[in-house]
Amino acid sequence: MTVEREHSPGSHGAGVDSEIVVTELPRAVTREETQAAVHESFTLPLLFLTVVLAGSLRIGQAPRLSFHPPSLMALVLAVMLLAVLYRAGALVPDALVHPRRTALEKISGLIVLATLFAAAAQVFSLVTPEAGLLAFAFNVVFLVLLGNTLAARPDRSQLLTSLLIIFGAAFVMKFVVLSAVYAPGTGLTKRVVMALFEGITLGTLAFVRPSPATGYIAFGTLALFLIGVAWLPRPHHAPHHPEFRERLPADGPSAPAHLPSSALAPRPAPDPGDR
Amino acid sequence: VRTTAIRIAGLLTAGVYAGFIVWLYAAQPRNLAEVKGGMAASVGAYTIDRESFDRGLQFFRSDRFAEARSAFQRADPAQRDATTQFYVAYSFLRQGWGRFSRDDELYRQGLAALERAMAASPNGHVRIEDSNLTLKSSDEVRAEFERGLVRDASDLNPMRVFDSRP
Repeated sequence: MTVEREHSPGSHGAGVDSEIVVTELPRAVTREETQAAVHESFTLPLLFLTVVLAGSLRIGQAPRLSFHPPSLMALVLAVMLLAVLYRAGALVPDALVHPRRTALEKISGLIVLATLFAAAAQVFSLVTPEAGLLAFAFNVVFLVLLGNTLAARPDRSQLLTSLLIIFGAAFVMKFVVLSAVYAPGTGLTKRVVMALFEGITLGTLAFVRPSPATGYIAFGTLALFLIGVAWLPRPHHAPHHPEFRERLPADGPSAPAHLPSSALAPRPAPDPGDR
Repeated sequence: VRTTAIRIAGLLTAGVYAGFIVWLYAAQPRNLAEVKGGMAASVGAYTIDRESFDRGLQFFRSDRFAEARSAFQRADPAQRDATTQFYVAYSFLRQGWGRFSRDDELYRQGLAALERAMAASPNGHVRIEDSNLTLKSSDEVRAEFERGLVRDASDLNPMRVFDSRP
C-alpha cells in the first residue's frame, strides 16, 4: 500500500496539497513464496500420492499386479501418526491452513494433510502382514510404539529418527525375516516344523510371502515417505506465518525498485485470540 | 497471480493423480497392458488389434479354441473389448461342452470372460450377429454356463446326449 499526495489547483492558490489517495499496489511475490507454493502444491502431494500408489502395489507371479487399499486399522494408525507428528512439531497445521492464508492456500494445505494421511495409512498397511495373528501382532506393536512416542513428546529430529527405526524394523521383520522363515522348499525339517506350527496355531500364523520385487518397491516407498515427512512445511517456511514474515528484510530480498518498502512490510502480528 | 496459477495447477495434478489411484483400487488391473488399456478406455481411445482379432476368429471357427484365445488375448490385451471377450467366453463354452459332461473349470473361466464382456459393454449386454454362433446374446451364453455349472437330477437325463453344441 502506498500513499500519494495529489496536487490540485484550488482557488486558494496553486500547489496546495488537498487530498490523499490511498492506492493498493500488488505485493511482490517473493522467491520463497513461489518455492513454498511449488512445494505445497506439487512436491508434497505428488510425493505422498506416489507413496500411496507404490505402497498399494503388490507384484505376484507372471508378473501379476494387485493394488491393496489400506486396511481400517492402518487408517487408525495413520491418525495416531499424524497426532504424533503434530505433537513433535514435525507437522505444523499453521503452516498449512492458517486462517490468514487465502482460500486457495488453505486448500493446498488441506491437500497436503489429506495426502499425508493417505500415505501414512498406506505405509502402515505396507509393512504389516496381510492377515492373521501376525497382522494383529504388528498392529498392536505399532499402537504401543505410537502411544509411547506420543507420551514421550520427542522433538522433530528425535521423532524422525524414531519413525525411521519403527518402519525400518517393521520392514526388516516382514520382508526379510518372515519372508525367509516362510520361504518354501528349504529342507524337510523346516517344512515339517512349519506345518506342525501352523497346525498347532490353527493356521492363524499364516503369512503371505511377498515377492522380492514388492520388497524393493516397499523399501523405496518407505524412504520416500520419510523424506516427505522431513519435508513437511515448518513455521518459518510458511510465507504467511509471522515467523516467516519477520525474517524478511523491510525492503524484501527481491523487492522490485519501483515498489515502496511498505509493499513488503511485515503483516501485523495475529491477534493472540486468533491462534 | 503466479503462485495462484501454481497452486491451481498443483490441485488439478493432485486430483488427477488421486483419481488414477482410486481407479486402480477399483479396477484392479492385473498387468501393465490392462492399466494402459483401462486408461485408454476411460477416455474412449482404446482399440483392439483388428488383425489378431480376425486371426482369432479364424481359429475359433475351425474349433481351435486355445489358439483362438491366444490370438484374442493379443488383440485385446487389456480385456476391455466386449466383442472380443464375448468370443473368448464362447470359446470356453464350446471347448468345455461335451455330449456326456461339461468341463466346470472351462465353464468358470468362460463365465469370467463373459462378465468382462458385459462390463466392457456400455449397456451391460452383448449381442453378436454371427451365423456361426448358436447363442447370440450374453444372456443366452450366461444361462448356458450356469446350467452347465449346476448339478441336479437333469444331469442324469440320458436324453441330454442328443443336445446340440451351442
